[in-house]
Amino acid sequence: MATAATSVERSGRTAVVRVRGDVIVPTARYLYGTLRGLAKRREVKRVVVDFGEVGRLDSSGVAIIELAKRALHRSGKELALEHLDERHTAAFELAPKDGAKPPKQEEGPTWLEAIGERVLKIGDTLRTLGHLLRETLTQGWAIATRRRRVPSGSVSAQILAMGADAVFIVGLLSFLLGMTVAFQGAVQLQKFGAGVFVADMVGWSMVREFSPLITAIVLTGRTGAAIAAELGTMRVGSEIDALTTMGVSPVRFLVVPRMVALTFVQPALTLMSMFIGITGGLLVAALTLGLSPATFWAHIAERVTLADFAQGLGKSLGFAWIIGFTACHFGLRATGDATSVGRATTRTVVVSIFLIVVLDALFATIITIARSR
Amino acid sequence: MTEPLLQCVDVSVGYETPVLQNLNLEIDRAEIVALLGGSGCGKSTLLRTVCGLVRPLGGEVRLFGESLYDVEAEARTPLLRRIGVAFQQDALFSSMTIEDNVALPLRELTKLPASVVQEMVRMRLELVGIGDLARRMPAQVSGGQRKRAALARASILDPEIIFADEPTAGLDPVVAADIDSTLVKFRDALGSSIVVVSHELESIRATADRAIMLADGGIAAMGTIDELQQSRDRSVYEFFHARAG
Repeated sequence: MATAATSVERSGRTAVVRVRGDVIVPTARYLYGTLRGLAKRREVKRVVVDFGEVGRLDSSGVAIIELAKRALHRSGKELALEHLDERHTAAFELAPKDGAKPPKQEEGPTWLEAIGERVLKIGDTLRTLGHLLRETLTQGWAIATRRRRVPSGSVSAQILAMGADAVFIVGLLSFLLGMTVAFQGAVQLQKFGAGVFVADMVGWSMVREFSPLITAIVLTGRTGAAIAAELGTMRVGSEIDALTTMGVSPVRFLVVPRMVALTFVQPALTLMSMFIGITGGLLVAALTLGLSPATFWAHIAERVTLADFAQGLGKSLGFAWIIGFTACHFGLRATGDATSVGRATTRTVVVSIFLIVVLDALFATIITIARSR
Repeated sequence: MTEPLLQCVDVSVGYETPVLQNLNLEIDRAEIVALLGGSGCGKSTLLRTVCGLVRPLGGEVRLFGESLYDVEAEARTPLLRRIGVAFQQDALFSSMTIEDNVALPLRELTKLPASVVQEMVRMRLELVGIGDLARRMPAQVSGGQRKRAALARASILDPEIIFADEPTAGLDPVVAADIDSTLVKFRDALGSSIVVVSHELESIRATADRAIMLADGGIAAMGTIDELQQSRDRSVYEFFHARAG
C-alpha cells in the first residue's frame, strides 16, 4: 500500500510543506487537506511544496497542486514547487499550459424562452407528424394503384406479429372484462328485478366501449412500443439513413406495411374481443342470475344493432391509426443514442393512450349528440 | 530484469474456433506497441482477451505478473483497475455528459474529493483537446471528439497499460495526429505502456516503439517499424508495401 506523509515547517510568512512517499490516487487527499488548510491561514503568504522525498506523482497529485495554486492565488498567496525530479516534471506536462478555466455552466433559458421553445417544439412535432401522414398517404396510394410495392411478405409478417401473438392476451382480458361488467350489473339490476337487462349492459358496453379500448391499450403496449423501439434502433444504427441514401423511401418500406397491418389487425382483434367479452358476461349471467344462454343472446341480438358494431369497429380503426402514426413518428425521430430509443418507446405509449382516450371521448360526445336529434 | 506488464504464453484466442494460436508476446513498461494485421486477423479479439473480456481458448495471459484468467473474478478486478481500455466504438455512456463519462472511474473507484475529481477531469479533457465539450452529451459531439473522450476516460486513473482499439480510425489526419501525440504524452508523462490496434501506418510510424504483425493465425513478425518494413514475410511485405503503393 502506497503511503504519503506531509509535514509543515514555518519560516516567517512562508510555509514549507515537505511531502514524503507517493502522491497518487489513494494518498493524494492528505496533501490536498494540508494545502487547503494553508490557503485559509492569513499569516501565510507563500507556500513551498518540497518534492525532494516524493516518489511517484500521478494525475491526482498534479490536479491537487493545480487546485492549490488557484486557491492560493485567489487569496493573494504564492505557491512554489521545489526539488522536482524528471518524473515529476513529466507528470506536470499533463496540466494545461494556458491554465484554461473550467467551462462555464451555460445559462438556462428564461421562463418566456422556455414557453417559446415548447411552442416551437410542438409546432415542429405537428409539422413532422403532418409530413409523415402525407408521405404515408402518398406512398399508400402509390402502392394501391400498383405504381409502387411494399417489400414482399412484409404486411403478412407484421399482421402475424401484431395479431396472432396478441390473440391470447386480448381474448383473456376481454373475457375477464365481460365477466366484471356482468358482475357489477347483476348485483344492481337484481335489486330491481331487472337481472335480464345485464345482457343489454354487457352487449352495449363491450361493443361500443370496452372492446375497442382494451384492444387499443393492449396493442399500444405490445405493438406500438415494439414499432417505436424497432424504428428507433434502426434510426440510431443509421439503417434509416442507409435506406434514404439508397433511394428507398423509409415510409414505404417501414411505415406503410405497419399501418396496413394495424388497419386489419386492430378491428379484427376488436371484433374477437366483443364476442369473447359478451361470452364472459353470459357465463356470469348464467351462474349468478340463472339466465339461459338463449335468453341472453336473444337480448343481445335485439338490443345491440349493427350500428353499434360499426361504431365500435370505426373507433378501433381510428385507434389503430393513432397507435401506428404515434409509434412510427417517435421511432423515426429517435436520434443518436440508446436513451432516445427508450424515450421514443415511452412517449409512444403515453401519447397513444392519451390520444385514444381523447378520441374515444370525442366519439362518445358526437354520437350522443347525433342520437339525441 | 523487470517483469513484463503483459505476457501471453502460448495463447490461443477466438470465440469458438481459434483465430490466433500459440501466441507468445510481452509488453514492457513505457512502450507503445502496435498490433497490426489485416481485417479479421484477430487483432481486436486478442485485445479483448488481454484485457479480460474474452477467455483465451488456450495458454495463459499474465497481467502484472499474475495469471488473468486463473483467478476468481473478484481477484481479477484489482488487475483490471490498473489498465485502461479505449474501445473501437468509444463505448461512452449516452445518458451521461462527456465530463461524467470521464469522471465515472474516479467516482466509482476512488475516494478523491469531488473538487479534485473535477480538476482531474478538466485537465484530462484539456489534454485530449476537448476541454470545451465537457458538458455536452456524447451524441452532441463528433466521432473524433468521442474517441478523444474515450481516451480520456481510459487514461483517467493513470493506468499502467492503455489498450486502444483503432483510436484514429476514420479520423482526419490532423485529429489523428493529435491523438497520436496524446498517446505519446501518456507514455512519457504517466510512464504507461500503450497497446494500439491500428491499420493506420502513419499513426504507427509516429507513435509505436514496436509493432507486432498478426497474420495467418499467429505472429508473422515482431520488431520496430523499420525492422518490419525490411521483413521478407509475404503478409508483412504486402501490408506495408501495398499501402505504400
